[in-house]
Amino acid sequence: MTDLAIRLRGVTKRFGGHVAVRDLDLDVPRGTICGILGPNGSGKTTSIRMVLGIYVPDSGSVELLGGEPDHAHRKRVGYLPEERGMYRKMKVMDHLAFIGEIRGVRAAEGRRRAGEWLERLGLSEWGDRKVEDLSKGMQQKVQFAATVLHEPDLLILDEPFSGLDPINQDVLETIVREMNAAGVTILFSTHLMGQAERLCRRVCLISRSRKVLDGNLREIRKAEDRGDVVVEFEGDAGWLDGPGIETASPVDDGWHLTLHANTPPRTVVERALAAGVELRRFERVAPRLHEIFVRHAGADAAGDAGRPAEARLPAEASTKDSQGEAALR
Amino acid sequence: MNSAILAIIKREYLQRVRSRWFVAATLAGPVLFVGIAVLPILTTGSSEPGEIMVLDGTGELLSVVGPALEGAGYSVTTGDGEPSLEDWIQRIHDGEVFGVLQLDSATLANGDARLTVASSLSPIRTLALRQIVAQGTLASRLAAEAPETLALLGGGTLEVDVLDEEMEVDGADFLMAYLGAFLLYITLLFYAVAVMRSVLEEKTSRIVEIILSSVRPIELMLGKIVGVGAVGLTQLGVWAASVVILADIGLPRLVAARPELAPLAQFESFAPGADKLLLFLAFFFGGYFLYSSLYAAVGAMANSDQEAQQAQAPLVVLMVVPAVILPAVLESPESALAVWTSVVPFFAPVLMFARAVTGAASGLEVGVALMGIAATTVIVAWIGGRIYRVGILMTGKRPGVRELWRWVRAG
Repeated sequence: MTDLAIRLRGVTKRFGGHVAVRDLDLDVPRGTICGILGPNGSGKTTSIRMVLGIYVPDSGSVELLGGEPDHAHRKRVGYLPEERGMYRKMKVMDHLAFIGEIRGVRAAEGRRRAGEWLERLGLSEWGDRKVEDLSKGMQQKVQFAATVLHEPDLLILDEPFSGLDPINQDVLETIVREMNAAGVTILFSTHLMGQAERLCRRVCLISRSRKVLDGNLREIRKAEDRGDVVVEFEGDAGWLDGPGIETASPVDDGWHLTLHANTPPRTVVERALAAGVELRRFERVAPRLHEIFVRHAGADAAGDAGRPAEARLPAEASTKDSQGEAALR
Repeated sequence: MNSAILAIIKREYLQRVRSRWFVAATLAGPVLFVGIAVLPILTTGSSEPGEIMVLDGTGELLSVVGPALEGAGYSVTTGDGEPSLEDWIQRIHDGEVFGVLQLDSATLANGDARLTVASSLSPIRTLALRQIVAQGTLASRLAAEAPETLALLGGGTLEVDVLDEEMEVDGADFLMAYLGAFLLYITLLFYAVAVMRSVLEEKTSRIVEIILSSVRPIELMLGKIVGVGAVGLTQLGVWAASVVILADIGLPRLVAARPELAPLAQFESFAPGADKLLLFLAFFFGGYFLYSSLYAAVGAMANSDQEAQQAQAPLVVLMVVPAVILPAVLESPESALAVWTSVVPFFAPVLMFARAVTGAASGLEVGVALMGIAATTVIVAWIGGRIYRVGILMTGKRPGVRELWRWVRAG
């Protein structure tokens, strides 16, 4: 048994003239939490679908849990697609039991587990109601329960947090962490850099169908650390536009500064004092994923992902459509 | 067959069978059958003819009108003697007896008669009584004046000599062929479209991506077709059973208990024999698999109900053709038109079934038609399966024919 849950080598997928994923290598070791990060339309969903064998790559190889992405291996995976569908007319409990059944969980056992999950997610009383009676947030929680009902070894979540309110995002994050602690490998895609920073041990940054960077998040941040600092001060910000400071972007109450190589951080303090502003805070920080992404892919390539941490955009429906249309042209 | 397919079949079946719609439609079938075919006779027959007193002023009509009334279910009392007319009229008031029929010279002259009853009669009943009086009077006068013409009243017989070898279709078979073929057409269309809707629903609700992460597309398609088909069989089974129970068990008992309902006995011939049920089943199976794989592909290539409506137009034409030429085929089931159209696989389910029921098609022809359907189903399911596989995850513009061909090759 290999120690990789997912192994992609040189994977390329074209839809007609459009290359959705180009020459992608990706290793996801067992037991980790790995995030695929990138703006909308950068190829995250296509990559995930190839991992699951829903799409067959035009070239390259895919290994899932040490084998082909075939039926037997897919049964060990819990997959939550970005566009989440449910049988609206089915009762919540029946729906969950059915999804479990097609993944090899006997109906009675599926119902038992579904009951536990509904209780945990605060939906105990909703088991006998029709799916369509649930609010959108509740439906999303039920979908998550359906994804994990068969106790998968690998959880693949495509934009799992989009559309959830902060409280339920926390609930979901906690569950994901717990499952990971219990040995489940987790791969999820997101365009929310902040979320990834909180949750991931490994990241894979994708931009315009290509991988930009991947590896252990802590190591990446260490390697990318060029002396970023956060400053908070009272007074005119004009002094930030000076030698040694590469970029300055506003955060919360202060500014996040990336410095040119060979610029010692204390220069910032000296310049602040020279400018006569009231310095309240000075802190050395590791670079955020956002800056790392921009550094490697360029600001315009970063697109949505380049936006400060929690920015949200509606789903990329139009991009999807044009992909589908182009599919076999 | 793996457990995932079984789960899909089970879900598809239970969701549908449990629906209010299914229960209503399944129960409505037999109720409709009773309503359309049996009820009118039942109601006209069941409003008790009752006792009738005949006051015959002519002295000759009672001997013919009396038996005719009794034949229609009345019990006849003559006016002379007990009970008295006053008593009788009182009993009419009380609703114990039906009425008094007065026949006199006017009756003999032009058929006029007088009937006294408690409340007004239905037109059908009035007509039936007038008919009895008029026929009786006619018979009586003919017997007196021209006895040699009396036989004419019986209506005579018509002997039909057929010059061609054309077979004769007996009335009951004709009716069964017609109704059976029509039922076949309706149920095939209905359940094939149900498969399409189900595919479309999974596609538009996006649940399909979740299912396909654990199940092969062809398994999902197959499970769906089998599940929906099982619903159709259940419904047909309930209908067949209720017809058989009604005709074979209910009817004889009813007729035995109430001899005046004898006309109902003709419906016994409606109960199809095992051979015809088997034919129906065979053609339902064949036609259903053929059409549902086509409709599954249509569902997979569409993105909305409207698109599906448009995309299924060619299929609707394919299905409507046999329904349109069915009357012509039944009219002369051995004509070239009938023979050739009934072996075309897409038309065979309806047309060959109809011909087989009338007895016009040989076992060989039925076999050829079924084999043709089976062979076409294999091809169609292969093509449909490939379109389904590509289409089910595809969004965007509905594909044209050339695009579809690419799907078939790529699938």
